[in-house]
Amino acid sequence: MNEISADSFDINEYLRLELFPHFLCPGCGHGMAMRAMLWAVAELGIDKDNLAIVSGIGCSGRMGAYVDANTFHVTHGRPLAFATGLKLARPDLTVIVITGDGDSLAIGGNHLIHACRRNLDITCLMLNNEIYGMTGGQVSPTTTLTRFTTTTPYGNYEPAFDACRLAEAAGASFVGREATLQVPTLKNLIREGIEHKGFSFLEVISDCTEIYGRKNALGNSPEMVLSQKSKMRPESYGGLMSNKVDQPFRPNPFQTGVLARNERQEYGELCRRHIAAKQQAE
Amino acid sequence: MSKQRLQNIPGNHACALGAVAAGCRFYAGYPITPSSEVAERMSAELPKVGGMFVQMEDEIASMGAVIGASMGGVKAMTATSGPGFSLKQENLGYAAQAEIPCVIINVMRGGPSTGMPTRPAQGDIMQARWGTHGDHPIIVVAPDSVAEIYSETIRAFALSERLRVPVVVLYDEVVGHLIETVDLQPAPEEQLASRKWAEGPREGFLPYRADADMVPPFPRPGDGFRTHTTGLTHDENGFPTQAHERVEAVIGRLLGKLDRHKELIESYEAVGCEDAEVIVTAIGISARAAKKAVATARKNGIKAGLFRPITLWPFPEEAFRKLSAGASAVVVPEMNAGQLALELERFAPGKVSALTRYDGEHIDPSQILKRIEEVLS
Amino acid sequence: MNDKSKIEKPVNVLIVGVGGQGVIMVSKVLALLCQTHGFEVKQSEVHGMAKRGGGVFSHIRFGPKVWSPTIPKGKADILLALEWAEAMRWLDHLKPGGTFIADTQRIVPPFACRNRKRGAERNYSRETPAEIIDKVKNGYALDAEGMAMTLGNRRVANTILLGVLSTALDFSPESWQAVIEKFVPPHTIETNAQAFQEGRSWTANAVKPLPVVSEAPSAESIDITTELTINTVWCKGCDICVKMCPERCLALNEDQEAVLIHPDKCTGCRICEWLCPDYAIKLHKRPNSQTEGTGAGV
Ligand code: SF4
Ligand code: SF4
Repeated sequence: MNEISADSFDINEYLRLELFPHFLCPGCGHGMAMRAMLWAVAELGIDKDNLAIVSGIGCSGRMGAYVDANTFHVTHGRPLAFATGLKLARPDLTVIVITGDGDSLAIGGNHLIHACRRNLDITCLMLNNEIYGMTGGQVSPTTTLTRFTTTTPYGNYEPAFDACRLAEAAGASFVGREATLQVPTLKNLIREGIEHKGFSFLEVISDCTEIYGRKNALGNSPEMVLSQKSKMRPESYGGLMSNKVDQPFRPNPFQTGVLARNERQEYGELCRRHIAAKQQAE
Repeated sequence: MSKQRLQNIPGNHACALGAVAAGCRFYAGYPITPSSEVAERMSAELPKVGGMFVQMEDEIASMGAVIGASMGGVKAMTATSGPGFSLKQENLGYAAQAEIPCVIINVMRGGPSTGMPTRPAQGDIMQARWGTHGDHPIIVVAPDSVAEIYSETIRAFALSERLRVPVVVLYDEVVGHLIETVDLQPAPEEQLASRKWAEGPREGFLPYRADADMVPPFPRPGDGFRTHTTGLTHDENGFPTQAHERVEAVIGRLLGKLDRHKELIESYEAVGCEDAEVIVTAIGISARAAKKAVATARKNGIKAGLFRPITLWPFPEEAFRKLSAGASAVVVPEMNAGQLALELERFAPGKVSALTRYDGEHIDPSQILKRIEEVLS
Repeated sequence: MNDKSKIEKPVNVLIVGVGGQGVIMVSKVLALLCQTHGFEVKQSEVHGMAKRGGGVFSHIRFGPKVWSPTIPKGKADILLALEWAEAMRWLDHLKPGGTFIADTQRIVPPFACRNRKRGAERNYSRETPAEIIDKVKNGYALDAEGMAMTLGNRRVANTILLGVLSTALDFSPESWQAVIEKFVPPHTIETNAQAFQEGRSWTANAVKPLPVVSEAPSAESIDITTELTINTVWCKGCDICVKMCPERCLALNEDQEAVLIHPDKCTGCRICEWLCPDYAIKLHKRPNSQTEGTGAGV
C-alpha cells in the first residue's frame, strides 16, 4: 500500500487558502469530511489539475469552492447530472461529487438512482446531516423521526431513507458509509471509493451542530460528534442492524464500512467500446 | 467516404446532421414528441464520429449533462419540446450565468402544459427569451426550412462557442417533421472554431476577466487553471460575490456582451420591405405562409414586404425599425396568442396587427393575404 | 491431527484484527473445519469497540472435549493477527513456544491510541517484525495484503493467512480448501484457492529479511517533539479539539480560540488536527535529535 505518512499530508496544499476561514458554522461535520476526502486524494497522488469536484446546493455544495482543483458548483440536486456529462466527455478527469441528503435524495433523487444504475466512474460523497442547513433548518429525507426542524415544529413524522440501501438497490457498484468522527477510516473508505472503477456511493454521517443540534438539544459540537461513536456498527453485523424504513434511522446503530461492492462494467468503458465498434464498422 | 450531399430528410434529422457537422460530440436528451427524431438521429450519428450519446433520466438531467460535457470542453447539445423546455430552464439559466456554451433545440408543440404533443405551435417565443429566472443573455435562432435548420444549427454552435452563451434553436413541429431537400455541405470554416481557450500564466488567472470583446477565455479543466465555476453571482475570480458595485459590473458585462456582438448574431430575411406599405413579420412555418401571401399581394398590386427574423432573440431591432418605418401596418401571423406581436409593438407602436391561431393548425397564406388587405383598407 | 486420538488437550487459536477485516470469517472457517473433523469447538467472539477500526478478536478452542470458551493469557497455541498493532496487543496471550502469524499491515483507528506519551514505557506497537519474530519460536510476519494485491484481489489477504495457518495445524490442504469455498463468493473461489496455496508456499520459504511494517514508528522515533500550531484566524471555537484531546492539552481562551495549554502532555496523536472542522490545527512531529526543547502552541 502506498500509505503516505499522516505527517506529510498537508491539507493546506489542497485548499484555496485565500478563501479561509470557510463559511460553515462552528463544529460543522462537513469540514472533517472534506479533510478525509482531500487526504484520500493526496494518498492516491491525484494531480489537482485533473481533479474535478462537482457539488450541488446546500452547505455540502459550498465546500467544493474551497478545494484547489477544477470545481463546479452547480444547480439544486443536479451535481450527478453535470458530473455524468463531464466524466463522459472527459474520462481523464477524476470526478468527485459532493452532495447532501436533501440535494441527492430529494431534489436530486432521480439523478442518484440513475447514476447508480449506469455505473459511471464517479465517486459520490453524500454528506448526511439530516437537515437543510443552508435554508435555515427544514426537514430532510433523512431527518430522524420525532426530531424538530423549522418545518416540523411538532416533531418529524416522515420516515427516512437509508441512502446506502437505496444506492445498492439501484445498482451502485460500491457503497459505503462512515462517520466524520473516524477521519482516517473515512479517508480509507473514500480512497477505496475513488479507486473503484465504477460508481461509488459513500454516505458520510455528518453533523449540523448549530441548527439541528441546537433545535433538538443534541448537545454541543464535541458531544454531537462523539455521539456518532456509540451508534456505529461494523458491516459484519449484517442484517441484524439494518435499518427498517418505518423506524427512526439515526438513533439506531448504523452500519459503517464497505456495505456493497460488485464489480460490473463501467459505463464510460461501455460507451467507448460501443463507439469504437461503430467507428470500426464505418 | 463520400456521403451524398443532397438529401431528402426531415427537419429534425437535418438538425442532428448540422450539429455533427458543427463539431458537436456530446448529446444528452430525453424523449419527447415532436423532437425525439433529433435524439434518434444523434444516437446513430455520434458514435460514427467518436461522440457520446446518452439518454438521461429526465429533461433536467439532460441539460445538466450537456453543460457538464461542455464544462469539460466538448461541444454539446440537447433537444426537447415545450414541457421539456420548461424543465430545462433551470440549468439553461446556469449556462447563461456561468457562461457555458451549449445548444438547445426546442421543437414547438401546442401548449400550455402537456398541450397537444403532435400539433404544431409557436407558443414558446417568449419562453425561449425569458424562460429562466432573472436577467440573462440568450440567443434564439428560428429557422423556417429543413436546409435552414441544418445551417442554423451549425451557426448556433458557432455563436454559442464564440460568445459563451446558450443558444436555442427554435422551430415548430411542422418544420421539424417537414421533409425537404438539404445540401449537407460542410460547416463554413469560420463557424467551426471552438471557444477561445485560456492560455498564459496560471498564477493569478481570473476566469471571468473578459477580453476586450467582453468574452472571457475558457479555462479547460486539466490545463492547470483550477478555477471555480458557479451559478451564484460571481466576481471575475469566479467566486461568489454580493457586493453591489461588483455585481453591477459583472452582470452588466454578462448582459452587455450580446449587444457588443450584434452584427455577428443578427440575421434576418427581408423581402420587398423598402417600399412596403405593409410588412408581414413571422417565423417558422408562419413565415413560409407569409412569404406566399406577400408574393400574391405584390402580384395583386399591394406593396407588401416580409421581414423574417432568423435570429429571433436578440430581435434585429434596428433593421426592423428601419425597414418598417415607411410602412403603415405590420401584420404578425403567429401560432400563439400574440407573443411576437407584443414585442413588435415596441418598435412599431400602433401599427401592429396580430394574426393569431392556437388551435394546432398552421396559418394559411390566404388568411394572411386577407389580413393584409384588411389593414390597408 | 487428523487422528483425533492424538489430541488430548484443547488447541487454542486466537484470531485478532480490527473491525471490517474479516476476523469473524477467518474464525468461522477454522471452526467449521475443526467441526467437520469431529472435534468439539468453542468459539467466542468479541467485536471490540464494535465499530470499524475497533479491535475484534475471536477465541477458538477445539479438541475432544472443550470446557472454557476463552483462552487465558499465555495459553494460545497460535496467534493469528490480521493487523500488526493488534498482533502486538495480543502477544501476551501467546504461550512460550507458540506460533505467531501476523499481517504487517497497520490500520490506525483514531481512538486506538494508547499510551503514547513521550517518555512513557516503550509502546507495544513500535516493535518491528524482526524484533518480534526473534522473540517467538515460530513467527511469521507477512504482507498478506500486498501479496493479495499481486493476485489481483486485495480481499483474499485473509485466505493467504489461512494458508499460513494451515501449515501449523494438521488438517489436509484439501479439507481447508473445501471449507474456504463455502465462505467466499463463488466467482472468487479460484483466486482464493490460489491465495491459500500462496500462503502455504510462502511459509515453506519464509526467510528473513521480513517485510517492514508500514507506518509503524521505528524505535528511534519514539523520542519526538510535537509542535502544534493553531491558526486562530480560522478557529471558530467549536470546542471539538478541546473535548476530544485524550490528554486534555487544549483549552478555549476568553476569545473562544483554541490554545495549547499543556504542550508537554501532547502525544502527537493528531486527533485534534483530524477533527478540527476548520483546519485550524496543524501538528508537526520531529525526532528530538533535530529539535531543541519542547513543542509549543501558538
Ligand atoms: S493536542 Fe492534539 S495531537 Fe496532542 S494529544 Fe491532544 S489531540 Fe493529540
Ligand atoms: S476544533 Fe478547530 S475550530 Fe474547533 S475549537 Fe479547536 S481549533 Fe478551533
